[in-house]
Amino acid sequence: MDTVIQSLLNGALMGCVYALITLGLSLIFGVMNVVNFAHGDFVMLAMYFTFFIGSMWGVDAVFTPAVTFPLLFLVGVVAYYLIIDGTLRQKYVTQIAVTVGLMTFLRALTQLMWKAQPRALPYSLIQGSIHIAGYNIMLSRLISAGVSILAIGGVSLFLSRTWPGRAIRAASDDLDAASLMGVNYRWTYALAFGLGSALTAIAGGLLMTFQQVDPTMGVRFGLLSWCVLALAGLGSIPGLLISGVIVGAAEALSMSLWDPRARSLIVYLIFILVLWVRPRGLFGRK
Amino acid sequence: MRIKATTFNRVLLGVLLAIALLIPLLIRTNQYNLVLVTTVLLFGVLATAWNIIGGMAGQLDLAAFAYLGLGAFTSGTLLIRWNVSPWIGMILGGLVATGFAVLVGFPLFRFRVREVWYALTSSALVEVLKVAFVMWEDVGGPVERYLPYYSFSLYHMRFGTYIPYYYIMLAILVIAIVVNYRIGRSKLGFYLRALGEDEDAAEILGVDARACKLKALMIYAFIVGATGAVYACMYGFIHPSFFSGARSTEVAILGIVGGMGITYGPLLAAVILVSAREFLRASLGGQMESLYLVIYSVVLILIALFRPQGIAVFFRDAYRKLLSKVTGDEHVLRANTPGI
Repeated sequence: MDTVIQSLLNGALMGCVYALITLGLSLIFGVMNVVNFAHGDFVMLAMYFTFFIGSMWGVDAVFTPAVTFPLLFLVGVVAYYLIIDGTLRQKYVTQIAVTVGLMTFLRALTQLMWKAQPRALPYSLIQGSIHIAGYNIMLSRLISAGVSILAIGGVSLFLSRTWPGRAIRAASDDLDAASLMGVNYRWTYALAFGLGSALTAIAGGLLMTFQQVDPTMGVRFGLLSWCVLALAGLGSIPGLLISGVIVGAAEALSMSLWDPRARSLIVYLIFILVLWVRPRGLFGRK
Repeated sequence: MRIKATTFNRVLLGVLLAIALLIPLLIRTNQYNLVLVTTVLLFGVLATAWNIIGGMAGQLDLAAFAYLGLGAFTSGTLLIRWNVSPWIGMILGGLVATGFAVLVGFPLFRFRVREVWYALTSSALVEVLKVAFVMWEDVGGPVERYLPYYSFSLYHMRFGTYIPYYYIMLAILVIAIVVNYRIGRSKLGFYLRALGEDEDAAEILGVDARACKLKALMIYAFIVGATGAVYACMYGFIHPSFFSGARSTEVAILGIVGGMGITYGPLLAAVILVSAREFLRASLGGQMESLYLVIYSVVLILIALFRPQGIAVFFRDAYRKLLSKVTGDEHVLRANTPGI
């Protein structure tokens, strides 16, 4: 029983980071209906940027988002104007072809620059663990989960309180009506794509406090975030957080109770079952 | 002298086939080049088979190597355990892949999993199978299982050289193209194209979308599964890494940039892009590994952005112009033959 609760705790904390990653994907997919296959590789890119800046300047991974957040925002905006913008009126198949090309490009580029071996930063400032009622909680994961929830809250405020945030939401509800109200759709889309990509910078910085990075990481985070999105459905930010926690907990449980290799198996099975049984997700609006 | 368009088509097909038959004889001393041309053919087969479900029916399937792996494991295990000939294993492997396709496809189409979600589910399937086979130690497991070695045994489909595999793959390719062509002109083909364009509209007009999609998925899975048996024999082992998500996605990409629904489009893309990629890999690999992938992915993006109809359309227009010059018939310029 102790192992169950312990792994549920670990998984739930990890799930908050998954929710943060998925929030970026859901901004991109929900607002402009663009299927971004490269999202997981943005996470990987963010982790490499964290490694690069952390090792070059000797900065702790927790503080790197100060640099990587604007950097990834820029990468996202450039990617939008260079390739996504041209496919908005095409079939979704073309969009997938283009983002798969982007995915291959990012993966090959990181391999070219940092080689294929895993990279990690030296120990982070936040390390060690605390004990509550006999359970062991890693401080790095606890802080990661906390920061993720704060970031999700921040984005949620941005979407509901500021003009650009409202423009993003308006464009996702009804593009034509929003355009008539003076929302510039290209500008809004670029903002959503940039913000969606930039959120991975925070997640990447947090992940690098307790994990290493290698170029194949993108696949895992890509499918993982689509799984969380399918479970949550579009349009509900608290739903995203709950789904992230469910997926993280399921992953951790399968690792401790069954087999460490079964973690992806469980995640993908949840994904497939959700699509069969409840295609709009647990909390979806459409 | 006027030549008929059909005669010209046949002569051209004959010439292409003759070239394909002669290639291994020209490079027979270099096994590396033989592997390359066989790999090009392999991707040609996979992309051509993919055209049935992806190109015609518009279902973006990203699970080609799931079916290929199932075929390889079926035939490989039969050969290792019970000395069953891979020629029989090919059929059985195809049937196992088809069975799996039904198992997966039936609920997917029943619950109307479509477009992006279909693509993502199929992509997840490959990963599920990979993990499942790593964990299923009786058949898979983390270590390669080698097929028995024979320097030349037709019964075991094991040869010391790659030349026979090239010809087997070529034969499968011809079969895949013929199947593709026949389906394209059959009632099923028209149904598939209709629902590929607009599924709801096709259903209102009386197309049983579920049954048609399932049929297309089964045919595709059978061809790919049977190819898996040859794949296992060619590489001489079976391993869960056969279930590769990246390569499955590549098959779909070849189908898309080749030209969705055009019989020879995916093959054209496979021939041009896979050979270009391997050429880049061979010439750049020494100094900078994975630089070839950077260039390759940029080319993919550019094609998808600027030729969203596929490279086959470009070739088709050029070919029609040539045909109208040769035959003196203006009609071929406007001909609208399905799948061509």
